Amino acid sequence: MVIPTQASGERVIGYSKSPVNEGKLCLKGYSGLSYNFSKERLKYPLIKRNGEFVRVSWEAALTETSNRLKKIIKEYGPDSVAFQSSAKCTNEENYLMQKIARVIGTNNIDHCARSCHSPTAMGLITTLGAGAATGSINSLDDSKTYFVIGSNTTEQHPIIGTRIIKGRKKGKNLIVADPRKTQLAEIASIHLQFNPGTDVALLNSIMHVILEENLEDTKFIEERTEGFSALRQELAKYSPEIVEGITGIEPEKLREAAKIIAKEKPTSILYAMGITQHVHGTENVMSISNLGLLTGNLGVRGGGIFPLRGQNNVQGSSDMGALSEWYPGYIPVNSDSVKRFEILWKRGLPTNTGLTLSEMFDAAVDGSLKAIYIMGENPLVTEAAISDVEKGIENLELLIVQDIFMTLTAGVADVVLPATTSLEKEGTFTNTERRIQKVNVIYDSPGEAMPDWWILNEIGKRVGGLESYDNPRSIFEEIRKAIPNYSGATYENIYPTGKQWPINKDNPDGTEILHTKSFPIGKGKLVPIPYRPPAEVTDANYDFIMTTGRNYYHFHSGTMSRRTDVLERESPEPYVEINTEDAKRIGARNSQKITIESRHGSIETKVKTTDKIPAGIVFVPFHFDESRVNRLVGKNLDPLSKIPEFKVVAVRLVV
Amino acid sequence: METAFIAISRDFQTYGAVERDGEVIFDRVAGFDQVSEERSRYAPKEFLMKRNENVLILNVENKTAVFGIKSCDLKGFYLMDKQVFGKDPFYTEKREKTLFANFVCSEPCSGGFCSSFGGPVLDQYDLQILREGEKFHVMVSEKYDRYFGEFKKEAGTFYSDFSNRFNSKLEPLPVEGIERRIKWNSELWKEYASACISCGACNFECPTCYCFDLYDDGNERKREWDSCILSGFTSSSAGNIRKDLDERLRQRFYHKFVYFKKSKDTYLCTGCNRCVEDCPVGIDIKEVITYDYNRE
Ligand code: SF4
Ligand code: SF4
Ligand code: SF4
Repeated sequence: MVIPTQASGERVIGYSKSPVNEGKLCLKGYSGLSYNFSKERLKYPLIKRNGEFVRVSWEAALTETSNRLKKIIKEYGPDSVAFQSSAKCTNEENYLMQKIARVIGTNNIDHCARSCHSPTAMGLITTLGAGAATGSINSLDDSKTYFVIGSNTTEQHPIIGTRIIKGRKKGKNLIVADPRKTQLAEIASIHLQFNPGTDVALLNSIMHVILEENLEDTKFIEERTEGFSALRQELAKYSPEIVEGITGIEPEKLREAAKIIAKEKPTSILYAMGITQHVHGTENVMSISNLGLLTGNLGVRGGGIFPLRGQNNVQGSSDMGALSEWYPGYIPVNSDSVKRFEILWKRGLPTNTGLTLSEMFDAAVDGSLKAIYIMGENPLVTEAAISDVEKGIENLELLIVQDIFMTLTAGVADVVLPATTSLEKEGTFTNTERRIQKVNVIYDSPGEAMPDWWILNEIGKRVGGLESYDNPRSIFEEIRKAIPNYSGATYENIYPTGKQWPINKDNPDGTEILHTKSFPIGKGKLVPIPYRPPAEVTDANYDFIMTTGRNYYHFHSGTMSRRTDVLERESPEPYVEINTEDAKRIGARNSQKITIESRHGSIETKVKTTDKIPAGIVFVPFHFDESRVNRLVGKNLDPLSKIPEFKVVAVRLVV
Repeated sequence: METAFIAISRDFQTYGAVERDGEVIFDRVAGFDQVSEERSRYAPKEFLMKRNENVLILNVENKTAVFGIKSCDLKGFYLMDKQVFGKDPFYTEKREKTLFANFVCSEPCSGGFCSSFGGPVLDQYDLQILREGEKFHVMVSEKYDRYFGEFKKEAGTFYSDFSNRFNSKLEPLPVEGIERRIKWNSELWKEYASACISCGACNFECPTCYCFDLYDDGNERKREWDSCILSGFTSSSAGNIRKDLDERLRQRFYHKFVYFKKSKDTYLCTGCNRCVEDCPVGIDIKEVITYDYNRE
């Protein structure tokens, strides 16, 4: 909650009535706002002429952008155009952008959920019927055991992390599976410090022990699931003794952890990018779902599966269908239900699967894609295999970037449209626990910056002949018709504390715990998942495994947090975390500049020695555009969700 | 009161504690009856030091009156004065032009421990207001006496009696001598460090904390509230002299109870309990006061 009192100076407070944080904030809450007032905000529409940006009027910018888009569509067809939406934008804006794409005739609409939680959507929709957290943040207080895997919760989801810390200090069980010694790992009952990329082997082995000890929930398995015998067969192969060779975890430790998870119920399983950003990301998610089902931890308060979302609106932007394989509400693009949208939008609609984020740049390289319209994304920093992104962009006829700052990506665009921040516009976000929350206008925007929904609305009218929306509210009213889970939400009834979807006739107050009686697909599916090694392995030339991710202070490509004084001071420059012993061995000192090389590229960065990371593994955050770690990340995609493997990259360190 | 309020509003921009969406915040108010007697959600430090402000040009500030601040929050400013008044021109300019009308709580709030530092009746104030049923008892500083010219002056012991009653309801903690009891190598600091997530709430929400970080934004020079829990705070080219989180947490308590006491002969705490309420992991400064350091 931000309180702007003109004369007294603005103040940020946690809203104490909010069930999400109970009024508690992390440092980004308290100190993360200054970017909003930065001198570097984009203030006017810009069009590139002879390599230089020229300030133009909105009318000129909109007309030229629309005309160029229309020309490309006419010449090469609608699939020659692609849209990249944003999990930082509102539901209304995401809905509008995907609608424009589809009304124009293409499913080439995608966004950064592809690089974080597309395996969650794919995996959990397959096994449970809903790609979302099954419980609420509040319900974590009723857990007896937390199983945290692939999530540095106190740094990436600090407020949820504090619930776990408080629970642990009260004596609850905490099992942490992570290659790094995270803050939670330090206070855990058991820390399983396993090798990166061996999640499926670890999870299968945990389930192996559970069956071996007869700790599974037989009643739940019988009544609520299907596929148990096939799963049992697969799990038989994963005795802890055999799996130790893969994961590096001692059998006794693993047995103990498995017993706690199965016996000390309810158990909540929390995971994040450490699970999803792998070539087998979707399989990892389904393994987690297997564990939840096997132990009967779904549909109960205090139990459940919690994919922790990395951005304010990843859940919402995915719900809105800003994904190439789904219409709003996760209607597959090739299903008959698309008719619903044809009626709602009064158009024939495309039913072929569109291009995903990373495929878009490939298509640009091979020449089939001519234009990309990016809203609030910075792929030149955040995408895997950056050199391919660069080549793709170079080959485009038209790149449109709508943003609040001149990002690296905006810098190479043909058209730059200045947008407003979430403190300057109205709309809704859907958070990690499915809670739809309202944002309101707090500040005026600088210069001629306009809200994303307004810009999209103008483009939609001109390019797609869309009816004009008066305001975000009128878009939300349409969302309520498009997505049954949102049908009962209104701007009035979700304010100020928000409500968790599904909100509908049967659940007017929303739904805190999913799947209490049945799954949307009837029975939960247990799926046998064989372990496959990560795409990249170490060899004599590339002898370290690198994992990438965020740190506590910065957000994504750093566009906002690096323009925020205190956050930037806390973490001002790129670095690589190396185990102290490894550093000694290769002769690197703290703060020394070194080069990291992978099979895909190389970067320079500074050494930070630490004991929190095991030997043989290094960690590099991706926030820094002066040393982009994604140059090193290859394009090894999960075949199911198309997420690149950001978490396992073979590298060598050159001192 | 309404008469005095109207007179003050003629000379000052008037703010007051008001409820919005279930939180008591500060906003413009048009009448004394609009001012909430509930404790505000936060200590209104931004009246004197903005969260983020430009420090190239010293603006001449408007005269501002703030009604409904609680004594513990107001006392924070009097403690800050000892450190920054006269030295920080931006603070000083606002401080001199701001009138605070503090409400004295008739009952202890939940969690607060102001009685440990003298209780809600302050000996420094602009207007100090205590309600007794429908009646208001007001203590006025000389500076603002003129607004109460026509009112009956009462001598006597009403305030001190009230103060004694209040402080007996809320038993003071044994703060005296904490500067000698507290222990450098206590296990408390490591225990706190294992839970702390470096959010900074215990600084940002504290009515006595006044630290800033200076930075440049384009051609402007700005400053922003800072937190001594962060590793970049007071960092030199050699990095922060307090490398580990437990050292930084200890520093906060030592500053409040040892260093400030030594240099200014008072503790840098008012007992408002905000750092406890807003700490997401429940680290409690009261424990630092009551902990038996000898046991270790
Ligand atoms: S700490 Fe004392 S002065 Fe402050 S709100 Fe509580 S009772 Fe009132
Ligand atoms: S240290 Fe805590 S209790 Fe003391 S004044 Fe600051 S916020 Fe209030
Ligand atoms: S409020 Fe608590 S968690 Fe936050 S910095 Fe202070 S002690 Fe740490």
